[in-house]
Amino acid sequence: MRFQDAAKDARAVVYAGVQADPLVARAAALLADATPPQRVLARAVMNGETTAPESWRTMFPTLFGSTGPAEGSPERDRSEAVLAASLAVAGRGEQVRSQFRGAIVEAVTELLLERRVGAGAIRRERRILFDGVAAEIHPYDVTVETPGVAEAYDCKWGARGISADVLHQLDDARAHATAEGGRLLPVLVVFDARRSCEVRLARQTAPRTGTRLVTIETLDRLSGRRAEVAS
Amino acid sequence: MTDVSGPLERVVEALARLAARGETIEDEWTYVHDLEKVWVARLRAVAVAGAAAEPPPPGPTPAELEAALDRLVAEADLVTDPHRAIDWLSTLPQATLVALGEAAW
Repeated sequence: MRFQDAAKDARAVVYAGVQADPLVARAAALLADATPPQRVLARAVMNGETTAPESWRTMFPTLFGSTGPAEGSPERDRSEAVLAASLAVAGRGEQVRSQFRGAIVEAVTELLLERRVGAGAIRRERRILFDGVAAEIHPYDVTVETPGVAEAYDCKWGARGISADVLHQLDDARAHATAEGGRLLPVLVVFDARRSCEVRLARQTAPRTGTRLVTIETLDRLSGRRAEVAS
Repeated sequence: MTDVSGPLERVVEALARLAARGETIEDEWTYVHDLEKVWVARLRAVAVAGAAAEPPPPGPTPAELEAALDRLVAEADLVTDPHRAIDWLSTLPQATLVALGEAAW
């Protein structure tokens, strides 16, 4: 099992520009430390039409209302920061924001993994090569490359991004690694509720039992922490 | 939580409108309606549990909750693109549950 940087085709070059945008890093840093309700706020705003912050504050009274965290408290400040960053993403326009959303999920995944394995073991946009096996065209969004054990992450904004192709690629990599006597853990990270992901997966016939699913409510498991109970 | 079955039924109706928009993506017809079904069931279960809770758990004031759900429904109704509608079929119930102070899943 070997790792290789993905080829820099035109799509990759354009997307690298999105990944390097400071707004991606800003949103990812906020979401890495966010509570589950704050992550849902980000998902709604980045999916939404309304650009007025007050409307979103009305929609999320447990974060911004009279019985929520007090103004000036760290949690309220983080909610405001998540709202501002999410509105900035939404303001980029429909086509661009979908690329930003994907890049943000990848960046959050990387940040949370860093807390568990350290930055040195984490790479982005990598292909995984096995002896005698044709390489997959699509690189993995994030990989953890440690001797003997590797992890490959495919990151999706929504449950609808789960497809047979994705499931097959992840499971094939796991099986090839096993055949070589190695170990590779494939993980699907989806910035959406598990309930929606399970609906998507229910009618898929592609193998998934060897692939771990991390969803918006369990993102903190990437860092080795148990998911907090949402409130 | 106070009895929110009325406002939650307005969210359920908004989900039906989103499903009607999303189902125009022919390949996603089944997914759209499966998604609507499981989230409607979740919201109705919350409404039943909330109405029976004694004492009511902490959460937003009734006026804030009513305003939040009205605004969420209005936001969902702004979505005209069928692909966005499918995204909102998952997002609207999660945001609704957060507004209620419930776990969003």
